[in-house]
Amino acid sequence: MIRLKEEPNSEQEIRRVLHPLVSQWFFSKFKEFSLPQLFGVLEIHSRNNILVSAPTGSTKTLTAFLSILNELIDASKKGILQDKIYCVYISPLKALNNDILKNLIEPLGEMEKINGEELGIRVAVRTGDTSTYEKSKMLHRPPHILITTPESLAIALSSIKFKEHLTNVDWCIIDEIHALAENKRGVHLSLSMERLQRLSQGMCRVGLSATIAPLMEVANFLVGEGRTCKIVDVQFLKKLDLKVISPVPDLIEISYEELNKKMYTILDELIQQHKTTLIFTNTRSGTERVVHHLKTKFPKKYTLIEEGPPTKVSSLIGAHHGSLSKELRLQVENALKNGELKACVSSTSLELGIDIGYIDLVVLLGSPKSVARAMQRQGRSGHKLYDTTKGRIIVLDRDALVECSVLLKDAVEKKIDRIHIPTNCLDVLAQQIFGIAIENSTSIEEIWNLAKKSYCFKNLKRKDFDEIIDYLAGEYTKLEDRYIYAKIWHKEGMIGRKSKMGRLIYMSNIGTIPDETGVKVKVGEQTIGTIDEGFLEKLRRGDIFVLGGDVYEFKFARGMVAQVGAAAGKTPTVPSWWSEMLPLSFDLAMDIQRFRKLMAEKFGHNKTEKEILEFINQYLYVDDLAAKAVYNYFKEQYKMIGIPSENNLIIEQYTDEKGKKFAIFHTLFGRRVNDVLSRALAFAISRSQHKDVEIRVTDNGFYVSAEKKLQVLQAFKLIKPQELEQILQLAIRDSEILRRRFRHCAGRAMMILRSYKGKKKGVGRQQVSSMLLLNAVRRISEDFPILKEAKREVLEDAMDIVNAKKVLEMITENKIAIKEVETLIPSPFAFNIVLEGYTDIMKIDDKQEFLRKMHTLVLAKIGIKG
Amino acid sequence: MEIINGVEAKSFGLYLKKEKVAVISDLHIGFEEALNKQGILVPRFQFEDLTNELKKFLKDFETKIVVVNGDLKHEFGTISETEWRQTLQIIDLLMGYCEKIVLIKGNHDTIIGPIANKRNVEVKDYFVAGEFFICHGDKILKNKEFDKAKNVIIGHEHPAVSFREGGRSETYKCFLKGKFKNKNLIVLPSMNFVTEGTNILREQPLSPFLKNIDDFEVYAISEDEILDFGKIKNLKTLS
Repeated sequence: MIRLKEEPNSEQEIRRVLHPLVSQWFFSKFKEFSLPQLFGVLEIHSRNNILVSAPTGSTKTLTAFLSILNELIDASKKGILQDKIYCVYISPLKALNNDILKNLIEPLGEMEKINGEELGIRVAVRTGDTSTYEKSKMLHRPPHILITTPESLAIALSSIKFKEHLTNVDWCIIDEIHALAENKRGVHLSLSMERLQRLSQGMCRVGLSATIAPLMEVANFLVGEGRTCKIVDVQFLKKLDLKVISPVPDLIEISYEELNKKMYTILDELIQQHKTTLIFTNTRSGTERVVHHLKTKFPKKYTLIEEGPPTKVSSLIGAHHGSLSKELRLQVENALKNGELKACVSSTSLELGIDIGYIDLVVLLGSPKSVARAMQRQGRSGHKLYDTTKGRIIVLDRDALVECSVLLKDAVEKKIDRIHIPTNCLDVLAQQIFGIAIENSTSIEEIWNLAKKSYCFKNLKRKDFDEIIDYLAGEYTKLEDRYIYAKIWHKEGMIGRKSKMGRLIYMSNIGTIPDETGVKVKVGEQTIGTIDEGFLEKLRRGDIFVLGGDVYEFKFARGMVAQVGAAAGKTPTVPSWWSEMLPLSFDLAMDIQRFRKLMAEKFGHNKTEKEILEFINQYLYVDDLAAKAVYNYFKEQYKMIGIPSENNLIIEQYTDEKGKKFAIFHTLFGRRVNDVLSRALAFAISRSQHKDVEIRVTDNGFYVSAEKKLQVLQAFKLIKPQELEQILQLAIRDSEILRRRFRHCAGRAMMILRSYKGKKKGVGRQQVSSMLLLNAVRRISEDFPILKEAKREVLEDAMDIVNAKKVLEMITENKIAIKEVETLIPSPFAFNIVLEGYTDIMKIDDKQEFLRKMHTLVLAKIGIKG
Repeated sequence: MEIINGVEAKSFGLYLKKEKVAVISDLHIGFEEALNKQGILVPRFQFEDLTNELKKFLKDFETKIVVVNGDLKHEFGTISETEWRQTLQIIDLLMGYCEKIVLIKGNHDTIIGPIANKRNVEVKDYFVAGEFFICHGDKILKNKEFDKAKNVIIGHEHPAVSFREGGRSETYKCFLKGKFKNKNLIVLPSMNFVTEGTNILREQPLSPFLKNIDDFEVYAISEDEILDFGKIKNLKTLS
């Protein structure tokens, strides 16, 4: 059903279907068809579903549009062009939509020029920014190609009049599908696609993707259940020139300042050697920092001063990230396009295919954490088809060196790590069913069948589906209150719109992206910056962190304001970037573990230094300097406690100078898995040994710690794979992450209306409301569908319970052996686990017990009389 | 628990032993409806909770007068039929435990009149029982009776106290006891279970009676007990 297209079509085959006008235009612009075009154009012409996976700048978009433009021009010339939408194009970014519009209008203009008269083909963008006037114009004269976003499509599907134009669509293109498939926007879109397909039965689907895996699953996501799809895989079209760079030969015997200085020197050298460099930093704060440092360290190189009069000062370096205003971002994009910048620093915002002109080098500062993401980022260089992709990853510690070296190996050997596509998201389902009910009175069976066609809901349980219908019909409340809660009516197997307000509520609250504003950080009344809400969640009184280059101590938070005090000179206790930190992909983690295993074997077999260096050199594609650094790192570890690896889990116990006990688990499975394992363990300890424990999680492992010695292994063995989910459900019950995700889910399911009666609720207001809502919902049931979804989201999307379970199974089947060791100081591999990561506390007592405990504590400390 | 001589704190209310007067405050009936009207679809438990809590509070006392110390109803736009009915039901329930009900006007009670008329309860700005002067607390009343009173009981503040240990934080409603000029001052917690109340360790009090509360004592309420936590200033240094 879904299969790879192995052979491209010939140029003749494609020429045969092209209208002479199109053909003439094409070859006036290009010498020949590109590989993606040879594979894709005919399939789209024949209206076959197709997924094209190719790097950015490989003419993917024109591949998709060539057949469609051809069809429209043919119809226009024959005088049979209808007033209907032939093609719906969807991309996740408004900016990309505007690029596409431009890239369609231009060729159409050129073809009209060749033709000598207008062709009458209309292209229009419909997004949240489109004016009412333009929308009503579209209503009367629909564009032949509609360019839109997932959210605007869902709105269009529920608008009575515009919907009429969506009943005979021939093609639907989903661009940048890799950026949608792994989050709830994609889940939402998958249902919109089914709704669109219900209106336009004959529509074919075209998916365009950058590097991604597994292609089979993404294709399945694109077309839904029971439909055919061809896959075109030209992901490795461009030649790769990738390297991992360590700024110094020895990453351990060097101060942070020294290392930083070297890093900027290298970065500057790289920029100066190239025309335009794009730098990715992983975080928004990092982006600002790098721009700032480059400008101050090398003032002459990054600022252009043109002698006057008047003297003109312009920057040769720009920052681009999601917190910047639309205007600022556009400014930087344009400057890049015009070749005015020497370098541009971005967090993740320039990963997608917005047109940014010619880039000849991409530098990644820090690990991109997944092979696919590394490829997507590095793919931004050499924008032309057969250019070489040039990428450099600069690493600043030894774990990153090993991680990025293995990542590079995977990239060179074309091993792409697999993405996780969320499934059975009940909040999204609720929103879409509400949308369908607004469209028309519909039978529940029809909706059930529709939902089951989406890849994301193919395994949906009927019980969950029915509960969502009940939820929407307000059936969780008493009969006399129901009119307040019901969004739909539900009678004799049918559902429909409850009131006129319903449409307005739906339209103004649609979408899946939660509102997340930054938390204001203040010293007294003075605002000094913002931090992520997720970062605030983890902060504890007394924590020291860096913001905008200065050091602060966290005092307390009130709503969306965090009060801090200056703490110059103190050492940060929390890394300020981890809240935005990307988790290490499971596949890449396993590959690093495999490398560890091979290294353990080499040392175990007493291989000489030379032999091992040779092995590293050829296995990892790194230079001698890097190989030596890797060698030293592993040797130290091997000598101290041995090398943990894929079949050898080491639990390292040590006591710090204050007498606090630590049990470090060398579980290199990525943070999403470690989050599950550590919480389950902490829960098991707190239940069986009645102790409070602290946990800290990183990609490479985790630790649990307590004041007294813990029976860690004993507790770890209590966790049975088949009980893991049950344990986690309890373990996350009072966690901050569940509260936050519940707020998001309640927003998506429209239980909290973010926008209502013309008023928008701030995040702070939503937070307070969602706490009240969570308490109330819990009294109905712990399985209330929206709460159930929040738990699923935490366990499956934010964390990775599926792979965590696999790890536990491997342990129970003795495929992973466990070794316990005692150390006086943490072993080399444990350094970052102890220093980095984020912490959480697992508490044992209930709320009343907690109050008594606090009471005893207060009595003891200040001695008041009973 | 006897909070000062002759005053018993129980559940979320006070009972004046000699005077046989029960005092409760800030019920905010209709709070959930108000949230619903803002597009927050909180299911409703308030009425059920309030009914249970009132019964628990009043069942062991021999009460002559129940004083509702302000904000019986959470007013927000118009009153729905349900809210109207529930308010009357609560008044009827209270009536079953006492001879007379006094409603003190709170800042949220601008249209309490019609309800009071319907059930023949008294609506006042303040109420005096023996040495106790009872008022809502949103403003300071100046009159002879106030000057004479040894003890003042207010509501309005919705006091609560938050305890934090490690990553965990829990909030409990509480009574406050302190001084206003030379009088004893007791602040009642709100008898509204939808909200947690205002954390007095962190936020600035609203009531003009509570200018400096560092020396006030905190009595935190848990499921079936009230615990004396001592002075606020000490708790502040701990949290």
